[in-house]
Amino acid sequence: MNLYFNQIAAIVWKDFVTELKTRELLSAMFIFALLVILIFIFSINLSIVKASEVGPGVLWVAFLFAGTIGLNRSFMLEKENGCLMGLMLVPADRTTIYFGKLISNFIFLSIMELFILPLFMIFFNIDILEHLGPLLMVIFLGTLGFCALGTLLSSLSSNLKTREIMLPILLYPLLIPIVIGVVRMTGQLLEGVPLLDMMKWVGLTASFDIIYIGVSIMTIDHILEE
Amino acid sequence: MESDENAMEVRQLRKSFGVLKAVDGIDFELKQGEFLTVFGPNGAGKTTLIKILSGLTQPTSGTAKIAGFDVTEGNVEMRKEIGVISHATALYADLTPLENLMFFARMHGLSQPEEKALKVIGEVGLSQRRNDRVRTFSRGMLQRLSIARAILHDPAILFLDEPFTGLDIHASNVLKEHLKRLHNRRRTILMTTHDISCGLEMCDRVALQVQGKFAFLENIADVNRDKFESMYFDAVRDNQFVMEIGSQ
Repeated sequence: MNLYFNQIAAIVWKDFVTELKTRELLSAMFIFALLVILIFIFSINLSIVKASEVGPGVLWVAFLFAGTIGLNRSFMLEKENGCLMGLMLVPADRTTIYFGKLISNFIFLSIMELFILPLFMIFFNIDILEHLGPLLMVIFLGTLGFCALGTLLSSLSSNLKTREIMLPILLYPLLIPIVIGVVRMTGQLLEGVPLLDMMKWVGLTASFDIIYIGVSIMTIDHILEE
Repeated sequence: MESDENAMEVRQLRKSFGVLKAVDGIDFELKQGEFLTVFGPNGAGKTTLIKILSGLTQPTSGTAKIAGFDVTEGNVEMRKEIGVISHATALYADLTPLENLMFFARMHGLSQPEEKALKVIGEVGLSQRRNDRVRTFSRGMLQRLSIARAILHDPAILFLDEPFTGLDIHASNVLKEHLKRLHNRRRTILMTTHDISCGLEMCDRVALQVQGKFAFLENIADVNRDKFESMYFDAVRDNQFVMEIGSQ
């Protein structure tokens, strides 16, 4: 069991060292998310619409679209020079590859989100600090579901020539339950509704997170094989 | 692996991609410590054969046992026994050789990954460049590092897919010496190549794969080099003719 976790940790370590050297992923995701928020802030008249009504949608569009850039890059790195073949040849359960990439994607996306949140607060003039704990919980659930499904589908689409197009086409429809859940919860949190009053949404999102991780564990072996 | 058991046992192995038969009923066995060189024209199915034997792809039919493990079962234990050098280096371009090998050492569950990585980097003569990014390496250096990755866990069986491709004479000689050392250490080796002199010089057995089949398989002691060369060139020429007809 120790070896299993060491192998997952090794994949995460390798992705981090690569990102520290290239700084390609985080900077691309951050700039894209920032641009999405800027485009919306200039196109929405906040004196007419309430920021707490449109803000959650804008925030999650920024997170998910920027995250897709990260997911596309994630398995591209493994395809370069046949590194995925190298990983397939090591004596490791194939789920270690999935969990290693899932954790890397989750951490990179979370770092980007932590930088975007204060900017969102400033641009939309919303005080998120008083709901910060529950909001981070909601972001955690949404990001986990996005990365769980996204990592699986990016491993699938990495074998396709049209991978940049195929990933969003496959990913976004399947993400709808999670997106609805997190956007609703974020909106209600910004309206001052306590998280305890939306346990149905929490349950729905958490259930999809578990389903996506379960499906990934069952299918990753077949997906990674040629 | 017991010393008297076959390192490889391949029976009626087949792999088809639609109507194309990449591997078509191959039979052979290799004892531990034997070196088999497989020659063949482009598209003969040599890479597919190595992919099947290393568990990267499933055969359509037939059986193959590597170190006693059935390749179709995707056994983790089997992967401990094999090392593969293919066209792709399987190295992360933005990491250094030390980081790359430390990563693979950890994936193999080796104790003291840094020490092991430094040792094999030294063996392939890349100690001076151990902290440079792999992206800056020449083809020859990449190939040497690829060998280091493949032998890091000291596997009993090595698969080499055209390892001399793109190497200059010096890098080719370094690789040849390294393969001889591995052979002397009784590693079982299956190598595909187009380089007649290198291939025949090192092996114990030689095979010629044409259109998915082993058209020839003999011990090197029984092979007339001139006859084999002419047979190989005929096979390459005929294959070229078939490919030209096919493309028309």
